[in-house]
Amino acid sequence: MVGAIAVLWITVLYLVLSVTRIDPEQQMAQKIFYYHVPSAWTAGVAYLLVMIAAVLYLMKKDEKFDHLGLAAAELGTLFCALVLITGPIWAKPIWGAPWSWEPRLTTVLIMFLIYIGYFMVRNFGDEGERTRRISSVIGIAAFFNVPIIYVSVKFWAADAQLHPQPAMGQQSPDVFWTFMLSLLVFTLLFVHMLRYRVHILKLRSKVLKMRYDV
Amino acid sequence: MLAVLLRKDLLIEFRSREILISMVTFGAAVTLLYAFAFRPSPQSMQTFAPGLMWMIFLFVSVLALHRSHSLEKEFDAFSMILSAPIERSILFVSKCLSGFIFLVVAQVILLPLFFLFLQLPLPSNLGQMMAVFLLVDLGISAAGSLLSGTVMRVRVNEMLLPLLLFPMVTPLLISAVKSTAAMMENQPFSQWQLWFQLIVTFVVVYSLVGYLIYDYVSEE
Repeated sequence: MVGAIAVLWITVLYLVLSVTRIDPEQQMAQKIFYYHVPSAWTAGVAYLLVMIAAVLYLMKKDEKFDHLGLAAAELGTLFCALVLITGPIWAKPIWGAPWSWEPRLTTVLIMFLIYIGYFMVRNFGDEGERTRRISSVIGIAAFFNVPIIYVSVKFWAADAQLHPQPAMGQQSPDVFWTFMLSLLVFTLLFVHMLRYRVHILKLRSKVLKMRYDV
Repeated sequence: MLAVLLRKDLLIEFRSREILISMVTFGAAVTLLYAFAFRPSPQSMQTFAPGLMWMIFLFVSVLALHRSHSLEKEFDAFSMILSAPIERSILFVSKCLSGFIFLVVAQVILLPLFFLFLQLPLPSNLGQMMAVFLLVDLGISAAGSLLSGTVMRVRVNEMLLPLLLFPMVTPLLISAVKSTAAMMENQPFSQWQLWFQLIVTFVVVYSLVGYLIYDYVSEE
C-alpha cells in the first residue's frame, strides 16, 4: 500500500505542477488547493471517526474502539495542522494577510484547540479505563460543537467570507480529476497511517497489560 | 432527589461562601484591570463592552465550575453520592443548576460594577437583557458542568477545564457578545434573532449531550 500511495503522490505532484491549468487570477498560489482541501477533508473524516469510535467505546467498552478513536484524533489533528499551515500560505499572496476570521479556517482552529485539550487529558490521565472513558466523552462533545461553531463564525465575521467556493462540477477535467486523485491519495494515506497507528496502540496495550494488568 | 442534591450544593456554598466570594473578587479585579488597561471613554468603551463583559463572566464561571466538582472529591463524597440509588444524569442537572445559580448571583453583583467602572450607560431593555443573560449562563453551566465532571479526576484538572471549556463555548460567546451589543444599541429583536437562536441551540445541545453521557463521566 505504501508503494501505491507513493506512486499516486508523485503522480498528483506531476499533474499539479505540469498538467493542471494555472489560474489567471491566483497564478501558482491556487495550486495549494490540491493539498489544502484534501487535508481539510481528511481532518473532518478523522474527527467524525473519533466521535463514532467514542460512542462505540462507551457502548461496548471494547479497547479496540478506544485505539481507533485515539489514532483518528492524532491523525485528524495532524491534518488540521496542515490545513492551518497551507491556508495562510495561500492567503498571504491572495488576501494580503496570512490570517482572517474566515469561518472554515476559524472552525478548524477551534477544533485544533479542542483536540489539544483532548491530548492533554490523555497525557495527564492514567493508562486505565477512566481516561479512555473521559476521552470518549470529550470526543463526542467536541464533534457536536462543529456545526454550531461554523454557523456562529459565518455570521460573526460576515465581512470575512473570503474563502473561495469552487464548484467542482464546473471545473475543467484537468482540475477536477487531479483534485479527485489528490483526495484519493490523502484518504489512502490516512487509512494507512490509521491502520499502522492502531496496530502500534494494540501492541502497546498488550505490553502494558503484561506489565501492569490494566 | 434533584432538590436534595441542589439544596446540598447551595447549603455548602451558603455556609462557606467560597465560590461566590472568589467569583466576585476575581470579576471585580478583572473589571478594574480593564478600566486601567483601556482608559475608557463612554464612546469607545461601548464598542468593546459586550466582549469584555462576557470574558469576565466566562473567567469567573471557571472558578465556580471547577470548585463545584472538586468539592466532591473531599472525603470521597462523590463515590458516596454515586452509591445512592439515583439516575446519574440527575447529578449533572444538579451541578448544572447550582453552577447556573452561582453565575447569576455573581453577575447580579458584577454587572453594576462593570457599568460603573467602565462608565457605560444603563441599557433601557433590561428585561430582554436579563432573559438572554440567563440563557447564556445556562449554556455555560451545561457545557462547563459536563467538562468539569469529565476532568474532575484527571491531574491538573484546574488547567484542563479552561483549556477545554473556552474553545467549546466559542459559539456561545460569539452569540452572547453579538446579542448584548445589539441590545445595548437598542436594536429590534429581528436584527439579532439569529444569535438568540444560536444561544438556544447551544443550550439545548449541551444540556442533552450532558444529560445523556454524564452516566459515563461519573462511573468509578
